[in-house]
Amino acid sequence: MDTTQLLKGVLDLAVLAALRDEDGYGYDILRRLRTAGLEDVGDASVYGTLRRLFNAGLLNSYVVPSDEGPHRKYYALNAAGRAELQQSGKIWDGFASTMNDLLRERGTA
Amino acid sequence: MNGTDIDEITAYVEAVRAALVGLPEATRDELTEDLPEHLAEVLADGVGSLTERLGTPEAYATELRISAGFVGGFPDPPPTTDPLARVRERAMLRLRAADARVGPLLGYPRVSEFLQLLRPAWWVLRGYLAAMVLAWILDDSSQPMGLLPRIGGSDVVALLLLAAGVLGSIWFGRRGAPLERLPRYALYAGSAVLVLVALSGFLSADSNARGADFTDVGYSDPYNHVEDVYIYDGQGRLVEGARLFDQNGMPIRLGRPYCFGDDHAGGEVAADDSKYPYCPENAPFRLPGEAGSASVPSARPTPSEGAASAATPSAAPSPSR
Repeated sequence: MDTTQLLKGVLDLAVLAALRDEDGYGYDILRRLRTAGLEDVGDASVYGTLRRLFNAGLLNSYVVPSDEGPHRKYYALNAAGRAELQQSGKIWDGFASTMNDLLRERGTA
Repeated sequence: MNGTDIDEITAYVEAVRAALVGLPEATRDELTEDLPEHLAEVLADGVGSLTERLGTPEAYATELRISAGFVGGFPDPPPTTDPLARVRERAMLRLRAADARVGPLLGYPRVSEFLQLLRPAWWVLRGYLAAMVLAWILDDSSQPMGLLPRIGGSDVVALLLLAAGVLGSIWFGRRGAPLERLPRYALYAGSAVLVLVALSGFLSADSNARGADFTDVGYSDPYNHVEDVYIYDGQGRLVEGARLFDQNGMPIRLGRPYCFGDDHAGGEVAADDSKYPYCPENAPFRLPGEAGSASVPSARPTPSEGAASAATPSAAPSPSR
C-alpha cells in the first residue's frame, strides 16, 4: 500500500503533533516529520497543510529574521490547535487500535 | 544564497503560480507568499536543483492545491453567516441523519437509495400526470374527462396522449445531461404542480367513489322515510298480507319489518318482511266500523294471521308482466 494515500488523511494531525513541543517553520516541520519516519511526505503537502491549518485558526505565526538566510515564518499551536490535536489524537488512537485488532484477527484466523 | 539560487527560486515560484490556474488571484498570492523563503530553506539544505528535489512546479502546485484544500479551483466555502443558509444546512444534516436511520427499516442503507430505485416509477407517473394536465388544458368539451387524458371524450386520443406523455417523461428522465440552474428550477416547479394536480385528482376521485353510495341511499331516496306500506282496495278497505313486485318480478322491500306499539312489551317485534303492511294496526286510514288497533288490541292481527287470511292477494302482479 502506498503511504502517500494514508498520509493524506492524517497529515493535519501529523503537522499538529510536530508542533506540539516546539514551534517551527515550514522546512523545519518537514524535517521533523521525515526524521520521525514519514519519509514520503511531500514538501508542498506540508507547506499547503500549514497554510490551511493557519487559515482554519489552529496556528499562530510569527516571523523571525535570520542573519545567514531569509527570514523565517514560524508556526505555533494556539489553544484551538491544541484542542484539535487532542481531539483528533483520540480519534486516531481509536481508529488505529481498531485497525490493529482487525489486522491481528485476520492474521491469526 | 547567491544570485543563481534567487533566479531559480523565482522561476520555480512563477511556474507554481502559473500552474495554480483557476484559483482567485488573492488565493494564489496567499498560497505562494512564503514560498520563496521556504524554497530557499530547501535549497540551502542539500544538493540538487529544486526540480530535482521537489519535482516539477506543476506537480508541486497540484500537491499544494490539494493539501491547502483548494481542489478543482474552488476554495472551501467560507463559514456561512446567513441565518437562512445556516438553518438550511442544519436541516440538511438532520435529513441526512434520518435518511441513514430509517433506511434499514426498508432494508437499505439509506432511504434515498431506495427512493432512487423508484425514480423510473415517478417518470411514468409524471408522464401520466402531464398528459392529464395537457388534456385538461386542451379539452374544451363539456364531457367529463374521467381518469384518462381524454380530449373531446375520445378514448383513442386519450391513449395516444397517455403513451406519448409516459414515453416522453421516461426519455426525459433517462437523458443523463444535468440541467442548468434555471431549467432545473423550472423542472422542480413543474413537478410540484403535477404533484398538486395528482393530489387534488386523487381526492376528487376518492370522494366520487364514496359519494356513489352516499347520494342514493342517504339523500336522494324519496322513500327513505318510509317505514311501512298500506294498500287500500277500490272500496277503501285496507289490504293485508299484500306483496309488492317490480316489473322484473323482484320483491320490492320498503320500510322496516318491525312493529312498535306493543304497549305491554314496549319493544320492537319482528314482522314477516315479505308482506305489507308490517303493522296493520298502525294504518293511517280506517273505514268507520273497522277495528282500530290501539283501542281494540285483541283485533290486531298478527303477521301470521294476516298471511293466512290473504295468502294469494289478487292484486299481486304476474312476474312476467
